[in-house]
Amino acid sequence: MKSIFKRLLTAAALSTTMTTSVFAAQENTAVNLDQLLTQLEQGKLFQNTQNEQREKEFLAKKAQQVQMLNEADARRTQLTQRSESLETTFEKNEIELANLSETLNNRMGSLKELFGVLQQVAGDMQGKFENSIISAQYPNRGVFLDELAQKMGQSSKLASVEEIERVWFELQREMTESGKITRFDAPVMNADTGTKNQQEVVRVGAFNLVSNGKFLEYVKQTGSLAELSRQPSDRYLSTASAVQEQKGELVEFALDPTGGSILGLLVQAPNMTERVEQGGTVGYVILAVGLIGLLIAIERFISLTIIGGKIKRQLKQATPSTNNPLGRVMKVKTDNPTADSETLELKLSEAILREVPKLARNLTFIKIISVVAPLLGLLGTVTGMINTFQAITLFGTGDPKLMAGGISQALVTTVLGLVVAIPTLLLYTVLNTRSRGLISILQEQSAGIIAERAEQGE
Amino acid sequence: MYAFFEMMEAIQAFMETGGSVLTWIAALIFVMWILIFERIAFIKFGYKKYEATVRKTWEKRSERKSWNAMQIREAMISRASNKLNENLLLLNALVALCPLLGLMGTVTGMIEVFDVMAISGSGSARSMASGVSKATIPTMAGMVGALSGVFASTWLSRSAKREAELLEDHLTTDH
Repeated sequence: MKSIFKRLLTAAALSTTMTTSVFAAQENTAVNLDQLLTQLEQGKLFQNTQNEQREKEFLAKKAQQVQMLNEADARRTQLTQRSESLETTFEKNEIELANLSETLNNRMGSLKELFGVLQQVAGDMQGKFENSIISAQYPNRGVFLDELAQKMGQSSKLASVEEIERVWFELQREMTESGKITRFDAPVMNADTGTKNQQEVVRVGAFNLVSNGKFLEYVKQTGSLAELSRQPSDRYLSTASAVQEQKGELVEFALDPTGGSILGLLVQAPNMTERVEQGGTVGYVILAVGLIGLLIAIERFISLTIIGGKIKRQLKQATPSTNNPLGRVMKVKTDNPTADSETLELKLSEAILREVPKLARNLTFIKIISVVAPLLGLLGTVTGMINTFQAITLFGTGDPKLMAGGISQALVTTVLGLVVAIPTLLLYTVLNTRSRGLISILQEQSAGIIAERAEQGE
Repeated sequence: MYAFFEMMEAIQAFMETGGSVLTWIAALIFVMWILIFERIAFIKFGYKKYEATVRKTWEKRSERKSWNAMQIREAMISRASNKLNENLLLLNALVALCPLLGLMGTVTGMIEVFDVMAISGSGSARSMASGVSKATIPTMAGMVGALSGVFASTWLSRSAKREAELLEDHLTTDH
């Protein structure tokens, strides 16, 4: 309580000091208190005369104000009367309007239903024309229909006979054109260069657009034509150029009965290289391993064929030559004509041992590749599944497209593994059979061949 | 005639549902069985003639105990054995390839299923059915091919071995 009182006091003191300072500022001529006093006295006198003058002026104007008030009152009454009369006219008009619209309804009768149907058909047609490839040949058909549908939407406007007939005409034209194969010139967006060229376009009914042996797509947003960035396989493409070059005779043509949807999906389907790319690093490793295997197999195939041919020639010749394994083995006998049978046999097997590794070289490597490739594929499968589960952890299972990347990696690597393993296994078998045949000639038959030669020589 | 056409049509429909891998498997099984029949025909007919000539040449020899004779006998048996075992390794490899090709069909079929899923964005069983049948039919065909080939190839290798041993017994050194 005390503190509040104290604060009030200080506030009062502050305000007094402030007023004095203000006075001091205004009356800077007043140097002492006496002068201030006289100044105040003079001011009071001046104010009094001023106030008296004001009073006089006010009294003089009083009569004038009364007159103005009367005028305003009169104006108000006049305006109220006018408002009332207008209100009655409004009510009368409203009734008349209702009567008139009822007459309109009565007179329109079944026509009203017709206009409803017209509006609906116009709306439907516009949507249909937007998607129809016939619009590529006859652009801006939708604008008229759009305007008509909007006009019909307002109750006050009626369609004219010309407009109704035009709707009929457009419908009939769509129907007639969908049964025709026609040619017309139009600008076409090139898929590779991105430039627009004016060229001849063949339209097959309402199904396909073809130009320069390529299938086109109708972009409904811009109403323009563009080559599909990915064309169907050559089997179908050839029919596209056939239909453009036909001169009245019947030709086969690959038709997209959905009017472009199937061809549109084609763009989404990945091709061979994209498929391989989906395999990722593991996929490339598998392909590299497969390539190595293939190269080794080719090298082995060529050298085994050459060696086999030389051995066959050696079998027919009596004199051993050193350019083939059999010849080198047989030479042991001619080099050691005096050796006894046991020594000869040892020397023979030594010579054979020297030849065998050359024939069987690298074959095991091909075999290993054929085993490793599916294993690498399995590795890719598992890493792909890990990616998939990571995607599930992040985004949930709601969208299968998000999981598709990992899954396609998993599957593509498996396929690549098998694609490498199957031919490598076959190649290994073929090469192994060949080399084993040659080795068996060396191991089991060389001694026999030498013996036969010896007996023939006797 | 009508029944034949009907059968061909059924086979064609089956091949189409199985996809392109099934064609490969069919070609593989065809080659495999051609080899099997060729081997059977050789063991039953061709080899008998060959064995007879080999035995005759051996019997005609004046002496059958020297080192030379022994070596020549070895060579004869080895040649006969080579003839008997010809293509058997390839046959075994073809049998092993059957399930591998079947597996490839499975995976390509599954890729098709996931393609359908990625494009349509839905798991509609109806649209995935073609991919699923392309996945399962080749697997089954590969298994059937491998099973049919395993028996034949086992029998063939056993007969080849037996025939070679029989020849060894027939080429006697003393009498």
